[in-house]
Amino acid sequence: MKRLLLLPVTAVLLLAGCGSSDSSPDDSASDQAWSFTSGNGETVTLDTMPKRIIASGPEAAALLAYGIKPVGIYASAPVDEDLSLKDLDLSGIEILSETYGEVDIEAATGLRPDLIVADWWPAEKAYSGLEAGVQDSSKKLGKLAPIVGIEQGDSTEKLAQGYEDLAKALGADMDDPEIARIKSDFEAARTAFQDAIAAKPDLSVLAVSPSDDVLYVANPELAPELQDWERWGLDVIHPDSPDPDFPYWENLSWENVDKYQPDLLLIDGRTYDSSLKTGESQPTWDTIKAAKAKAYANWPTYWVHTYSEYTGALETLTATIEKADQSIGG
Amino acid sequence: MTMTARPARAVESRPRHRSRAALATGFVLLAGVLAVVCFFSITMGARGVGLSTIWKAFTDYEPSNAAETVIRELRVPRTLIGIFAGAALGLSGAILQGVTRNPLADPGIMGINSGAATAIVFGIMVIGAQSIGTYVWFAFAGAGLATVAVYALASFGREGATPVKLALAGAAVTAILTSITNAIVMTNVAALNELRFWQVGSLAGRYFPVFWQTLPFLVIGIVLALGTGRALNGLALGQDLALALGQRVKLTRVVMFVTVAILCGAATAACGPIVFVGLVVPHLARMICGPDYRWILSYSLLLTPIVLLTADIIGRVVISPGELQVGVVLGVIGAPFFILLVRYRNLAEL
Repeated sequence: MKRLLLLPVTAVLLLAGCGSSDSSPDDSASDQAWSFTSGNGETVTLDTMPKRIIASGPEAAALLAYGIKPVGIYASAPVDEDLSLKDLDLSGIEILSETYGEVDIEAATGLRPDLIVADWWPAEKAYSGLEAGVQDSSKKLGKLAPIVGIEQGDSTEKLAQGYEDLAKALGADMDDPEIARIKSDFEAARTAFQDAIAAKPDLSVLAVSPSDDVLYVANPELAPELQDWERWGLDVIHPDSPDPDFPYWENLSWENVDKYQPDLLLIDGRTYDSSLKTGESQPTWDTIKAAKAKAYANWPTYWVHTYSEYTGALETLTATIEKADQSIGG
Repeated sequence: MTMTARPARAVESRPRHRSRAALATGFVLLAGVLAVVCFFSITMGARGVGLSTIWKAFTDYEPSNAAETVIRELRVPRTLIGIFAGAALGLSGAILQGVTRNPLADPGIMGINSGAATAIVFGIMVIGAQSIGTYVWFAFAGAGLATVAVYALASFGREGATPVKLALAGAAVTAILTSITNAIVMTNVAALNELRFWQVGSLAGRYFPVFWQTLPFLVIGIVLALGTGRALNGLALGQDLALALGQRVKLTRVVMFVTVAILCGAATAACGPIVFVGLVVPHLARMICGPDYRWILSYSLLLTPIVLLTADIIGRVVISPGELQVGVVLGVIGAPFFILLVRYRNLAEL
């Protein structure tokens, strides 16, 4: 209600602003056209650098890491639980959604965004929050402003670099020494990770997400962090028949979960505790030798978007790999 | 078909009185069919397991053998839950139809499904119950409370819980509970996800813990139910006639509703709201046995698990390697069957 009452006032102020803007000294800065090549290969060009950004949850965390503050965030979980948002200061940012696929479009429209920032998912050919599974009203988000985002493609490292580039294009201060420090921390974590893998040449891993009716086995070809790790030397098992309709996973009946026998199970990190509990409540869970040995690791599933998040995830994983027994899977 | 066949059919559609011996033979035959269905329920599934392995799973179980674990820990409890929950659903449907004299009565009409659903989402929200083993108690309590509420609401007034008042109270309680459930799942994604899994109605994903938790209730309910045949026969004559015959109608009704609440509560807790079997199978039993409730109950006891397990087996093979939940299969094959039944039988005969 408050917002509705304010609308006419804002309109009057805006009109007044337009009237006197002819001689504004800021004009030279906003004259410069802004452009960015998005994850789908298309270049978005705007008359001015966008200032009012609505971003999907983890993407917003990436922008915030470089001091770019969006006006609105649409998350797919409550923001105090969302892995990338829970520790961030979100004051002054409007939360447009805390459930996947249910964006408050009225509120989003009220924010008058000039840019939407969301990951590009090549397998679905859609941006985060505009996929086939979301509410129809949510899809209107894509009509409010141009969308840019980095591709959830073959590398999380590239994804983090992509958001750094986007933040830079959006005017982030790249001279901040903190940025260089975070990057060198990441490089150290990556080297330690590679060393840990090199010390366990026979170690194989399988990334899974247990549910009540099936065990989802990740297809590394569509998981950027798994692709990174394969490139860095980790043996990630590829399922032989991913679901043709949603090729991110092979859906394995609980009767058949012993089909793949890794030395270490990577558990969906978005819901690590509850996923593990769901898995362990299945009588056939222990037919996976690694599960019987409780050889689990946290898989930072799709949510990592920054170098510092990636550093944390890699350090945890490195510690697990250093202790891992590479003969469990046989 | 010639025109002369018409009167013959009219005669035939009257309740049949079959001889005791014929009905007893039929009962034994059904027990045989159930045994065959159980055999297929244990041998068929997403994983191909050879007969010798299955034999070994029972005679010389090796827990580290994955195929034997699948038989012992997945298919056996699944089949057992199918037998007991099926029997419970069939018996409760038969009793509900008899006691309310409503041919369309099923557990849904008593608010049982919505009560269980509300309790489950409540349990997930409050204590974070995350697996079916933990929220089975919530489902059971919810189903029981909803039944009590419906019966209490319908009991207001001098004439007590009449069939019409029960149906109305059931609809009202269901409406309230459904809106509460919706309000919770709108704000709680975890509750929504669990509810989605539970609400389809399935025998999959339920293992021995769920079976052992619900078994005592199912057994008590089944024993109680099998004893209600004579009283149901009295009620079938109408409340006034039953009173005139010296039956304590109100007490009988209370006992029957308690039985139904136990049966449906436990079955719904174990498999989710499975529709159609509780509604259709008692009609099928009545078609075979005639109007004597003692036989209708006995036949429902065996027929419902047969139908439920057969639907479950169909669900396992029809979209292999995936599975179709039994609730879906029953909806798809149950609906046309029910239409046929309505078309060929005068269901208002109750």
